Amino acid sequence: MLTSSTHLNRRRLLAGTAAAAVTALTLAGCSGSSSSPGTAAPAAVSQADIDKAMSTPTTLTFWTWVPDIDQEVALFQKKYPAITVKVVNAGQGADEYTKLRTALKAGKGAPDLAQIEYQYIPTFSITKSLVDLRPYGAAANQSKFVDWTWSQVTGGGGEIFAYPQDTGPMGMLYRADLFDKYGIQVPKTWDDFAAAARKLHAADPKVYLTDMAANEPAAWHGLMWQAGSKPYTVDGTTVGLAVNDTASKKVADYWGGLAKEGVIATDPDFTDNWFQGFTNGKYATWLTAAWGPVFLGGSAKSTAGKWRAAPLPQWDASKPVSGNWGGSTTAVIKGSPNAIAAAKFAEFLNTDPETTKMFNTVQNFFPATTALLADPAFIGQKSAFFGNQPVNQLFAGISGTVDKGWQWPPFLDQSVKDWTETAGTAMADKGDVAGATDQWQSRLTAYAKNQGFTVRAG
Amino acid sequence: MTTTTAVAAPRRRSRTGNSGYLFIVPFLVFFLLFFLLPLAYAGYLSLFKDQLVGGTVFAGLDNYTRALGDEQLLGGVLRVALFFLLQVPVMLLISLVAALAIDSGLVRFARVLRLGIFIPYAVPSVVATLMWGYLYGPDFGPLAQLGDRLGFSAPNPLSDTLMLPALGNIVTWEFAGYNMIILYAALRTVPVERYEAAAVDGAGPWRTAWYIKIPAVRPALLLCLMFSIIGSFQLFAEPNLIQRLAPNVINSAYTPNVYAYSLAFTSQEVNYAAAVSFLLGLVIVAVSYVVLFLTSRGARR
Amino acid sequence: MTRNRRSNLLTVGMLALLVYFLFPLFWLTVAATKTTGDLFSTFGLWFGHDFALFTNIRETFTREDGQYARWMLNTLGYAVVSSAGAASLATFAGYGFARYTFRGRSALLGLVLGTIMVPTTALAIPTYLLFAKVSLVNTPWAIILPSLVSPFGLFLMWVYARDAVSDSVLEAARIDGAGELAIFFRVTLRSLTPGFVTVLLFTLVATWNNYFLPLIMLNDPRYYPVTVGLSSWSAQAVGGSGANADLLACVVTGSLLSVLPLVAAFLLLQRYWQSGLSAGAVKE
Repeated sequence: MLTSSTHLNRRRLLAGTAAAAVTALTLAGCSGSSSSPGTAAPAAVSQADIDKAMSTPTTLTFWTWVPDIDQEVALFQKKYPAITVKVVNAGQGADEYTKLRTALKAGKGAPDLAQIEYQYIPTFSITKSLVDLRPYGAAANQSKFVDWTWSQVTGGGGEIFAYPQDTGPMGMLYRADLFDKYGIQVPKTWDDFAAAARKLHAADPKVYLTDMAANEPAAWHGLMWQAGSKPYTVDGTTVGLAVNDTASKKVADYWGGLAKEGVIATDPDFTDNWFQGFTNGKYATWLTAAWGPVFLGGSAKSTAGKWRAAPLPQWDASKPVSGNWGGSTTAVIKGSPNAIAAAKFAEFLNTDPETTKMFNTVQNFFPATTALLADPAFIGQKSAFFGNQPVNQLFAGISGTVDKGWQWPPFLDQSVKDWTETAGTAMADKGDVAGATDQWQSRLTAYAKNQGFTVRAG
Repeated sequence: MTTTTAVAAPRRRSRTGNSGYLFIVPFLVFFLLFFLLPLAYAGYLSLFKDQLVGGTVFAGLDNYTRALGDEQLLGGVLRVALFFLLQVPVMLLISLVAALAIDSGLVRFARVLRLGIFIPYAVPSVVATLMWGYLYGPDFGPLAQLGDRLGFSAPNPLSDTLMLPALGNIVTWEFAGYNMIILYAALRTVPVERYEAAAVDGAGPWRTAWYIKIPAVRPALLLCLMFSIIGSFQLFAEPNLIQRLAPNVINSAYTPNVYAYSLAFTSQEVNYAAAVSFLLGLVIVAVSYVVLFLTSRGARR
Repeated sequence: MTRNRRSNLLTVGMLALLVYFLFPLFWLTVAATKTTGDLFSTFGLWFGHDFALFTNIRETFTREDGQYARWMLNTLGYAVVSSAGAASLATFAGYGFARYTFRGRSALLGLVLGTIMVPTTALAIPTYLLFAKVSLVNTPWAIILPSLVSPFGLFLMWVYARDAVSDSVLEAARIDGAGELAIFFRVTLRSLTPGFVTVLLFTLVATWNNYFLPLIMLNDPRYYPVTVGLSSWSAQAVGGSGANADLLACVVTGSLLSVLPLVAAFLLLQRYWQSGLSAGAVKE
């Protein structure tokens, strides 16, 4: 249980999880992203060249949907007055990626830098659209970041494709008042959770323990991540696909079963009705990422003070582990005429102590840097919305338990689409979710083969 | 060249020579550049395949063979065909009844009705879908709230079974007024003498409507039908915008255009998307000809 | 005409129909007067606790340095330029096809009219790729140029021009020695005006409400028309942090405001478009 998290505790957990991750990797037998020897790092750019680039008047175009990022950018421009950064909101998530891809294809209109979520990095690295940041001194920053985030931005050949900006380790937010009202204990294992779900729904059919949105593949992947699933392994142009592996089926069976029993809701998330579900007490918990608390605070104001945070229920209470949902990085786009300035901007933005702190205080991002995660001021923050619980501390602890070995495929869009139409739809229809994962696997395999990949199972 | 022009009567309506080109060239230039050229390029694209691994390769007719065997595409085509068969008659019936009612002089506030029913056409589909999306909301939308108050549980329009009618409702709401105006305008051009003759024969407003007005608007009705074919089969905006609210009902192949969009922008299969779009165009043309044929046969009867 | 007898039943029925067509707009108006909190917690079809319309309007216009106003101006710009251009081209060409015979006339006309049936998605991506090669992407021209081609506009004007102009007037002008262009501008254009205005209005609506084309052509939100802008705000309102939940009130208010100009335009120009449509409706 991650209630106390002193510096030492977290390190111990980190070490423990790292060992578990390595073991898992060796057992799986597939080559993970950080274990292959990789290609030799390309020649480093000299300090003289870097200095020259940083003092030459340049304009960098930076596509990002982070609100109010001008404040952090201003700090960079103060330090390097010759560089002007033009911030453009080209859309959020998939919308931005679409524009980026079409711009890259057309050969014109792509920015120097773009915000790219962790899960989409392979999508852009497979098309060689991201600049390897090693020549610009990226490797020196590794220790500044939580280890699993660094694995996420590292390519199969050791390339460093982006700087981590924020993260979303997963935990559980729950309505303490509803738990008290119906006599529910905070579930520590998934079995506990299932029992609590049944108890709660039996006591009041209008209330559900949680909403497992049938349109939220990101949360689902986070839960697969927690369960130890290894659905994607990438090795150049060979991909290992196992979206229906044992762990995945375990997760599918679990949630499909609860959906069939009718004790959890499967409503689409981030819709008007879903917001109202929190305000009106329809959902008693939200299994979400570290950015969830702030989100909830904004959209369910009338329930302030009634919420608490806890780690996710575990499959194995003795080995607490979590997954990640969300978080972004800053990457430099291939073809940028200002690669040096761009690389240094990305580095500054995501490693500078002031900017990283601002990302937390202004945009309410959950940090990716070890420094901030250990900062007493950050950890000590108490949230009134959560009854003065130090929520940051909890999630900082959870951040240390995220499995390091997870990889994403180079065609996540397709996988997400296939998931939504197979497993997601099975969830919504209260059908056989585990069986649907087999369909997911076959559709994705067909797509991968059609795209020229060599596919092997797992 | 004075009075002899009267002899050339059959040629009088139009002028021969090259001055005609003068007038059509500007349009044709733009047509060529921004219509034919992209269309040709799309055709060209559909003959290739762009893989994530391996780049662009010539694929010949592979994309088309794949499309013809594609279950998802077939499902989408059947779905829009069903949509067409259900939504269009309902909408045109409403438009026709509204046009007839307003034209007949039997209703008060004719002008207000005409404008009010037409106004939804001026609303962008983004806004229309937003509005109806909220109204459809299963737990807290106003319709469901009313249901709560009156004691019955309102059906969920965003569910699998009701989605197509729900979309049909939005489209009807958006376009019935537009069709009504076309029909009304056609009604207004019916010569007064015909009504006078009918009145002399003792025909009341209903019989007048049936025997004179409806046949008179036949060409207009056909026009509306043609546009509805194109609109129904090309259905994209409304399902695309509702998808946010019902992501497990509206899948990526819900309609052929949604499928083409998803192929191009989500799956990065631009070439296949181009082939799908071409096939869709062919289907639309085929259906249009069938409908034209059926209705003209009816006319000859 | 039986104008003296009124049917109350029919009137009531038609008024019910009118309610159906207008109540979503009523909802929109009511919703625009609510705060985000009220939107979720009060009954949809009646007003909330606070009357926040003016606050909402102010918030909508001041958000992101007046981004909404920019979107409205963009939309106005695109729509007016495209529709004026499209209507002009269609009128010119419609007249040409209607009143002149020349080689290839039927073939060309058939070609253009046939393309009315082409699905627009087939064109969007290739147009994008072509525009990118000449650096037109992410500019207003990317929206305006494709919108200048209106096969339906051509059809309407062709039909209209066939009957709207009297031959004797035309011949008289020719006998007087006037050139074809002069005849067009001085003589026929006046009779073609209702048709021209109809095409103008309908391309105005089509461009104003266009969503898909600007969605893929534009990266920079400063060039968005209001449809894409509202859609992006609506996406942001759900996807970002809690602070963006207030955006929803702006989306609703912005939607209401975006509808008003077109409604006004149609009300003011009724006279023209009603008669213009009749031509296309009666003939075929």
